[in-house]
This record gives sequence, C-alpha cells and structure tokens, in this order.
Amino acid sequence: MKASLKVLSKDDLDRIYQTALDILNNIGVNIEDDEIINLLKRNGCKIGDNRIVYIPERLIDKCLKSTPRGKVTLSGRDSLKDMISGPDQKYPFVLSHVLMNYYDELGGAYRTITKEDIQRFVTISDALDSINGIWMCTLMPEFGQLYSYYEYELAIRNTTKPVCISSFEPSAIPPVMELAEAIVGGKEELIKRPLTVAFCEISPLTWNKYGCDMLKATAKWGIQPVITVETPMGDTGPATFAGNIAQKIAELLSGLVIVQLLQEGLPLFFVVPWETFDMRTAQICLASRPDYVYGCAVGQIEEYLNIPFYSPVSPDSKLLDMQEAYELGFSLLPRMLSGNKGIVIHGLDQTHAINNELLLMMDEMIISGRRMIEGIEVNEETLAFDAIKEVSGKIENERRNGHFLNHKHTLKWYAKETVPRRDALIDKYRREKWLESGSKSFVQRAHEKTEEILSKHKVPELSSDIESKIKEIYKKYNIKALW
Amino acid sequence: MLVIVIYLKLFIKKENKILKDHLKQIYDAVTSYDIDLVKKLVTEALDAGENPIEIMNDGLSKAIIEIGDKFGKEEIFLVELMIAADACMAGVELVKKNILDNKVDAGKPKGVIVIGTVEGDIHNIGKDIVKTLLETSGFEVHDIGVDQPAENFVKKAMESGAKIIASSALLTTTSPHQKQIEEKLKEAGIRSNIKTIIGGAATSSEWAKEVGSDFYASTATEGVSIIKKYFEGVQNES
Repeated sequence: MKASLKVLSKDDLDRIYQTALDILNNIGVNIEDDEIINLLKRNGCKIGDNRIVYIPERLIDKCLKSTPRGKVTLSGRDSLKDMISGPDQKYPFVLSHVLMNYYDELGGAYRTITKEDIQRFVTISDALDSINGIWMCTLMPEFGQLYSYYEYELAIRNTTKPVCISSFEPSAIPPVMELAEAIVGGKEELIKRPLTVAFCEISPLTWNKYGCDMLKATAKWGIQPVITVETPMGDTGPATFAGNIAQKIAELLSGLVIVQLLQEGLPLFFVVPWETFDMRTAQICLASRPDYVYGCAVGQIEEYLNIPFYSPVSPDSKLLDMQEAYELGFSLLPRMLSGNKGIVIHGLDQTHAINNELLLMMDEMIISGRRMIEGIEVNEETLAFDAIKEVSGKIENERRNGHFLNHKHTLKWYAKETVPRRDALIDKYRREKWLESGSKSFVQRAHEKTEEILSKHKVPELSSDIESKIKEIYKKYNIKALW
Repeated sequence: MLVIVIYLKLFIKKENKILKDHLKQIYDAVTSYDIDLVKKLVTEALDAGENPIEIMNDGLSKAIIEIGDKFGKEEIFLVELMIAADACMAGVELVKKNILDNKVDAGKPKGVIVIGTVEGDIHNIGKDIVKTLLETSGFEVHDIGVDQPAENFVKKAMESGAKIIASSALLTTTSPHQKQIEEKLKEAGIRSNIKTIIGGAATSSEWAKEVGSDFYASTATEGVSIIKKYFEGVQNES
C-alpha cells in the first residue's frame, strides 16, 4: 500500500470550498483595473463600491469547466523532460528556485547573486535526477529592466529541463515569448508546450494594477499563468487553517475566473506557499510549524480542485545547519506524502538565498521521500517465507549460522526495497574510515560532489538557429548582451 | 602437406576460440550472479577436457577479482559480491574435484590462513565473507567456526602450516580473547612465524595495537585486501 497522508475529510473539504465560494459572492474581490472590472460585470458579477467585484458561483463553475483540468505541462528545451502534472503522476515534481543571493557556507560569504552563481546552480540542478525543473526569480540589479528575459535566457542556456519565471514586468513578455517559441519549435508547439510565468495576487482579496497587467499580458500572449497567493496566518489571512485555506482558494479562483474570461481554455496552475506571521519577531515565516500542517493537507486540496498546487519549501535558517535540515525535512516530507503535485525548493534565509550544496541535501531527501510514498508491498514473495526457511536451515555445530547476505532473495529485493545509492553522500562508514577520509561534514562532501558535477556535466549548447534568433531578439528589443 | 598444416592451424585456432568462449561464458556467469549457470558451464568445460587450472584462473578467479575490485570502489553492493563469490565457489568445488580425480598438478595455494570467531562470540557473517573471498582467490582457508577458544586457532595453524591467523570479535566482552591468541602463539613459540589479523565490530586499530596484532581490518573486504597484499609481499621476497 502506498503512503497517503490525509488530514481533511470530504465534508471538511466541502465546507472549506463552500466558504471560498461565499467569500467571492458576498465579500468580493478588490480589482484595480477597469477593463477587468467591466469584463467581470459583463459576465454577471455585481460591482460594489471601492472596485469590489462579487463573483457568483455559476461564473466560477463555468470558468472551472473551461480550464483544462487534470493535466498541466511545464516545458523546456527537451520535450522528454517536460513535467506533466496530473492524476497519473507518481511523485511530486521538484523545481529548484533561483533567488537573489548566494550563500557560500564554506567560504563564509553571503553575496548578491552573480551570473556565474546562477550558471553553476542551474547546471547542478540540470544534472540531478531528483530535480525536474528550474524556477527563476532573481531580480538581479545587474539585469535591470527586462530582467525576466535575462533570467529566462540564462536558465535555458544551462538546462534542458523545464524553466518557469516569475515576473511583474509585462514589457519583458514579448522577447521571452519569442525565445520560448524558438526553443520549442514554433507558435503551434508553444500552445502545446507553453511558456509558464508566475505572478502574485495581493491578499486579502485584491488584484492590484501589476497583477492585473500580468493577467492581461499572459492572456494576450497565450502564456500559461501561475497564480500565486500569499495569506500569512494572522497577517493578511486568518490565523486558522480552515479559514486561511478558504481565503486562499477564493483568491486563486478569482484569478482563474479572470484568466478564463480573458482567454477561455488557457491552462493554468497555482503556487501556494504557507506563510505565518511570527508574532514574536514580526517576521513572515515560511517553513514553520503551520507550514508542516499545511504540507499534510496540500495534496488533498489540489486533488479536490483538480488543479495542481505547487508549494514552496522555504527554510528560514541563515546557515546550512541543523535548523536548515529540520525545516527542509519537516516541510518537504508531508508534501510528498500528501500527494502534492509540485514542490518548489527555495534555499534558505526566508526565500532570499540559494546554495549549491543544499541541492545535494534535497536530492537525498527527495529520494527518501519517494521511497516512503511507495509504501510497503506485501505478497508471497516479499513475505519471504521460503527465504527465511532456507537461511534458517543452515546449521553448524547445532547452531543456526545462515544469513541473507548471499541469498538470491536479497539480490532481487535489496535495491528495490531500500533504494541504496552507490554514490551516497550520507555517511554510513565506521568512525575510523570517516576519519581516514578527512572527517568531512555533509556540506564538505556535498561541495566536492558539486565540483565534480560541474566538471563533468555538460549541458548541450543552444543550436545555431536559436543563437541567431537571440541576436534578432536583442536587436528588436534593444537588449544589451550580458554574456 | 601444406593443406594438413593449414587444417591443423585452423583446428588449433578453433579449439582456442572454443576454450576462450567457455572461459568468457564462465566469467560472465559469475559476474551475472548465476550459480546454476556457473555449475553447468564448468561441468561442460571439464567434460570437454579443458584444463581445470585455466578454468580456475582465467574464468572463475578473474571474474571474482573484478567483482571484488568493483565492490572496493563501491560500484556494487555486498550482496552482489557475496552471490558472485558463491557462484565462483560452486565452480571452484567442481574444478577441485576434477583436479583430485585426475591428479592434476594444481601448484601451491597462494597462502594458508586459519580463520574463526573468538570464544563466546557466535557472529559469523564477516568471517564467512573473508573466507569465501580468499578461497575464491586461490588461498587455502581453514575455517574453525564460531565460539572458538584461543588454543584452537593455534592448534589449527600448527596442523595446517598457516601463515596467518584471522580472528573476528563483534562483542567488547569477547574481544579480549584476541589477546589470548597472541599469548598462546607465544607460549607455543611460533609467534614470529605467524602473522595475526583482527576484525569485527568490537575492534579498532587502537585495539590491534593493544593486543599486539600485526594487522587490523575495519571491513571484511579490507581484511581480504591486507591478507592478499601480505602474501604477495612474501612471494616477492622469496
């Protein structure tokens, strides 16, 4: 039986969803864009004072029907590595998120991220099987305007896996779109394997001008939007799980309705972090206790809505220390076991920094999480009665002296059941051997591994056609080459 | 005449090819962990009159040495090494019987070792791994079993002419018996003729120094490697 973590009953989910519908119909959404307000009005929404739009249930049902459900594709250079989220998914997809700073644990440095840092981080992510894609949101000052374009180009140069970007910059969409078209092989292909761009609604229940601009831009260009909502418990969202989830769903559905009215049938998905306003430090924190509880529920919520909820794992620790490992583990594992479709790994320091060695720690955790999802298989062969009988039958000097180390049953099942790694970084040696090997910490071993990956792993270069297209894009949009 | 010479050359070449094919198949069967296939192929090769020493050296031993190297480099797991060793051992037994039956000169073993688990300790897994790997590499191993008093190690070494005594202890309560082996060897006046190696979860390099043992192995495969190196050194000296 496969592992399955559940913390909400069907009745609980129905009540939460009904509350979300009531919020949209009776409390409404504040929208800072006249064009979108008029669109909603033409489709049966009531408009109140202060740009508050009340969205009726029938419109939500209609828009949910026009949203492609049960299958969402994230694409990159190699179509074989596309992430197709849906009910057939075996494990959650994992994306490594590039952020604005780089933390160098061994060098003791914390710096604004550089192009070289991004190249190395994305290349390592490309090499690791447990990482399925890359999310870019660096806001690098060096990139200046059109940062979304630079981020996208830099990412696709260093990985063939799917790349998503976060953007509040509609003007960057046209060049990104042209490059995405060249990458997947034309306009038609881009409909099937769309470019994915994330942007944010503002809680509580507000679509500000920037968010509205992005909604319109993605609809205009046919980009797959990722709607993100952030409702920190006790801050811009209720301090109860049920109420906070209901508000989140209401906000997400408001975005979904606008997207479908702007362009019917456009696929989309959600990115939903769990934040808590820490009343002791007055900080918005992610990987804290409430996040672990949400992790237990997120798979159920997305299954109920039949729309993927990609959920960030974002430790608050500033170092690669025990707090970091605790926050990563407790945040990641419930998500994996509850059936979450996608997990976005932020590095450390409250979504402010990334680190290469951390990718190797994630790699270990993800492989263990996947094995836990597989659960325990019980059948005649795994019960191993015959093997136990055979081994126990070996007797020397009236003592049982058999073992399973050289038994065919072990050969067949050992790797499948225990998922051992030949190149494991987790230390399992005797102390003496560990001392002989230099008494290295996990971070030191991971650092050596990252250097090995960087020296060996070669990401295929872009084709000459795509390089020519990039030159055209530079000229057309007056983009200065940064590499 | 010329035709006959050409025919003979071709015949010899073909025979060599068949032999190489057989050895390659035996080698492949060991490295694919198939005990039954190893037995079948070795039996066929011996029935076809092939040289048992060549089967041993170029088929069975070659395969297990390569598998051992892979384990040393952590490219395969212990279960794979153990099953390959069992497959190899199954072939070795058939070859040994053939050598005895046909009185073939098999030459001397690479070395003679006495191995066992000390008194009060019934753990046998590490000991068995060392034994199997040494036997499949052409060493003569006398396994005295588990829970063995120190004098039995010494007695067996004197009987067999062993040059190494390997003792295993997994419990801190039983490891002092490894010291007794050293004392019994001294009492018998043969300490300088015999090397000792200790291993097992209760032991360490510090413990080896305290006991007075010549070598310490932290794992079974390290033990095999130390023993092989020792006998290679002895051979080179002689």
